[in-house]
Amino acid sequence: MITLRAEFKKIKRKKIGLTMCALIGVQFVWLLWSGSRPDENERLQGWIEMLHSLPLVSVIMMPTIMSVLASRLADVEHKGNTYKLLNTLRRPGALYHAKVVCGALFILAISIAQFLFVIALGYARGYAGHPEWKYYGTTFVLNLACCLSLYLLQLLLSMLFFNQMIPLVAGLGGSMLGLILMYVKMYSFLPWGGFLSAAQVNMDWNPETRIIHLYYREYSPVELCAVAMIFIWIVVFYTAGRLLFTKKEA
Amino acid sequence: MRTPYIRAVKAESLKLKRSPVWLAFFALPLISAFFGTMNYKLNIEVLKSEWYSLWSQHTLFLCYLFMPALIGTYCSYLWRLEHTRHNWNSFLTAPLPVTSLYLGKLTQAARISVLGNLWIFLLFYVCGRLAGIQSPFPKEALEWFFCGTLGAVVICCVQLLLSLVIRSFAVPIGIALAGGILGLYMTNQDYGMNYPYSLYCLGMRANNPNMEISTSTLTVNSIGFIFVFAALSVFYLRRHEISSN
Repeated sequence: MITLRAEFKKIKRKKIGLTMCALIGVQFVWLLWSGSRPDENERLQGWIEMLHSLPLVSVIMMPTIMSVLASRLADVEHKGNTYKLLNTLRRPGALYHAKVVCGALFILAISIAQFLFVIALGYARGYAGHPEWKYYGTTFVLNLACCLSLYLLQLLLSMLFFNQMIPLVAGLGGSMLGLILMYVKMYSFLPWGGFLSAAQVNMDWNPETRIIHLYYREYSPVELCAVAMIFIWIVVFYTAGRLLFTKKEA
Repeated sequence: MRTPYIRAVKAESLKLKRSPVWLAFFALPLISAFFGTMNYKLNIEVLKSEWYSLWSQHTLFLCYLFMPALIGTYCSYLWRLEHTRHNWNSFLTAPLPVTSLYLGKLTQAARISVLGNLWIFLLFYVCGRLAGIQSPFPKEALEWFFCGTLGAVVICCVQLLLSLVIRSFAVPIGIALAGGILGLYMTNQDYGMNYPYSLYCLGMRANNPNMEISTSTLTVNSIGFIFVFAALSVFYLRRHEISSN
């Protein structure tokens, strides 16, 4: 708890919260813009349509947002050259854990804000009925897990390299890869493709009638493995990050 | 005799020596070209405009979403060298005018943007031939290249200003990504010519290669933005006390 409090003191006046608000605000503007004037048919499909558009927004923006968050938290140590303090005041493992928890709290706040906004937007636009809480809840948990896995990966890279360009380019490359994978198939075993595996809604498009049919997804065994992979990545990145951090020399 | 500008450019080149920052400009267009060509080949029955269809596949995501952020990363890196340790002291006491020092950085950012654009076009040509397109290479590509490069320099100027003012490495990159996404909206609303992050995509005709745009308006607006943001950066460098970490 003391280490976590110290972590928050380190980032005081760094305006990380403000940065996250601004970036998540762009997501909100995007969601506001897409489908801003729904007709009767769109209102009927509103809730399912919202769940369909969320992965696209997340896959583009979240890897970069996570790289910005991780870079801001790690940069404090690089600029302050604080690695020489490892093993002196607290165990390095505890310091790493505090950094993870600090980032995870930001991610939780971002995810809650995103979901509250989506639900408020749906009601404001007058979508028919109520959200399917089962699917919305699953999306929330899986999105949170995807963000956490990406944050852990980015934290690992940001801690490893003094040159923050490398982790940020990795984040951008991940965003691009995730976006492109979306047009190949709706699941992926890569960390950046987790948002695709987490998507709860699939789409059928009839080229002759040009009608789009949205439906809730039935997971195949391979797709379920891809979902499980999100959690495996969390374990892998956390363990690797902790190992590298505890062995890091100033 | 070397002018202050040439000396500033050479100094910046030395700072970037052996730095792998150019790798990002090599890798991201490569990913985009690979998957773009694959998508083109898979949907060849629908995508019938050959070079033009392939161009959209190659550049749509890259130009709107990732190039602004990539340029932002490079600009952040250029100023990070000064933001770390006591480098501001040596930078601001260098026996060169501030304008030359700034232009040295802008030249480096513009250079990598031009090289990045050349790489995109080279990949476009090679992938087109590999995909079996037999028709001649479109002549308009030269115009796309020049207009796109001008738009990229505008983004360089905006990002150099942001990275100069904001000490964080990552925040200007987040702003660049957000700027690129908002550029989609601005272009859609026909305000693209007045929005710095949209000029690159409009110049490259990323959304629609057959799009008719006023090249003169794009050139005038781009030069205007370049002048304004460069002047703001030089003004900031002259008037503000910048302390080293």
